[in-house]
Amino acid sequence: MGASSSPKLSGMQKQVLSLYRGFLRAARSKSAEDRHKIESIVSGEFRRNSKQVDRKNFLYIEYLLRRGQKQLDQLKSPDTVGLSSLNVSVSETIDPKP
Amino acid sequence: MATAMLRRALPRASALSRFTRARAHASEAEAQQVEQKARASTSLKTFSIYRWTPENPTKPELQDYQIDLKDCGPMVLDALIKIKNEVDPTLTFRRSCREGICGSCAMNIDGCNGLACLTKIESGSSASTITPLPHMFVIKDLVVDMTNFYNQYKSIEPWLKRKNPPETKGKEVLQSKKDRAKLDGMYECILCACCSTSCPSYWWNPESYLGPAALLHANRWISDSRDEYTQERLDAINDEFKLYRCHTILNCARACPKGLNPGKQIAHIKGLQLSGPSTV
Amino acid sequence: MALRAAILRHVRVPVKTLTLTGRKSQPWGPNGASLRFLSSHGDDHLSKDEVIERVLSVIKSFPKVDPSQVTPDVHFQKDLGLDSLDNVEIVMALEEEFKLEIPDKEADKIDSSNLAIEYIYNHPMAG
Repeated sequence: MGASSSPKLSGMQKQVLSLYRGFLRAARSKSAEDRHKIESIVSGEFRRNSKQVDRKNFLYIEYLLRRGQKQLDQLKSPDTVGLSSLNVSVSETIDPKP
Repeated sequence: MATAMLRRALPRASALSRFTRARAHASEAEAQQVEQKARASTSLKTFSIYRWTPENPTKPELQDYQIDLKDCGPMVLDALIKIKNEVDPTLTFRRSCREGICGSCAMNIDGCNGLACLTKIESGSSASTITPLPHMFVIKDLVVDMTNFYNQYKSIEPWLKRKNPPETKGKEVLQSKKDRAKLDGMYECILCACCSTSCPSYWWNPESYLGPAALLHANRWISDSRDEYTQERLDAINDEFKLYRCHTILNCARACPKGLNPGKQIAHIKGLQLSGPSTV
Repeated sequence: MALRAAILRHVRVPVKTLTLTGRKSQPWGPNGASLRFLSSHGDDHLSKDEVIERVLSVIKSFPKVDPSQVTPDVHFQKDLGLDSLDNVEIVMALEEEFKLEIPDKEADKIDSSNLAIEYIYNHPMAG
């Protein structure tokens, strides 16, 4: 997704960039502090996925696009003031029986 | 998320190995039993269940689980809950009422859409295949994205719309028994999406064609004697795609777990479009 | 165990990657507001020199960019080593600087200073 020298974008890459643009636009409508925070979270998420996600795993990228679009729709609402996120890790104690 | 993903893989893998161990055990035991006693003590059944998770986004696959039907309720949902409780807690599906009124557990069971809680486990056949509702976006395992489906339902404005206030101020708008009876065969719909997701027309045009469920509800409000926006409702769906993608394939009626016939309701709307005053 | 992907997961991003905030410290930032207000009524169109100067200034202020490399025909990805996400951020920063909203179709094409300057100079609403 974030390839440095691929001038021709695939349809899916365009969708990803369009979603990113959407988030940055939505962030503009929030307070300066929240905007800052939203941009930081969103940019982190996109950059991490651009490195981690296999560019041919279309199923997963489409899943992320739909999830992102839903989150964007929520963020666009004037009632939504900001965005925060959790990093949940699985506790090691869940394995029930040996 | 990287760490989350890696760690996530562990319990899943251990659940799998536990599972295969259990299977090895079972077949050993089975062999002995056949020789010794009656086979009636266990009755094993395999469920091949669609698995995909965004936590570990590889290709979707069918995973096999073996369940002893002697130790399990009669419905497919019972088996799913048993698997989730006892074999693999990562298996994900929607369920709530377990009596066919909430519509949560709609899925494709052995090639037919239905509610897991109303579908009996086939004891005769060797294996059952359970997959998500067809042509829907998968969120995880058997859980599908219903956004588009719900938005289409919303688009038909499923609520009573009036131009005049009720006859007696502050009271309900009344309806005769005969008018109420016109809603039979429609009000029972629980929006489980079994019909829409079995409809080939809906598969090809999921965004533009409203699909049997939403159209059935459209007809429910069109037919309601208390509603005063009948013509507006008819006009709103008088569209080549929204309404007329129905080609009376009638998979909807086959799939409906409540025994309704959406195709018939759609035909009713089409009939009204012809006789309606504003048609050319 | 209950891990939910519904909330965006947050990996802490170093503050220096917060690209879009660089613009705030630019000297023409606050002054630009009154200028834009006038020109949005269409009285006077921006001169090409002004467009060039302001476009380059926005690009130079982008944290990942070495300002000495920025020229009127620099290619964002080939010459400045940026990726497509950076490209989006630059175009968005230009949008804000010139009070425009560039549609996706056009924005995807803008991948060099030259194209950005041309697009903005020819845009009737640029202010």
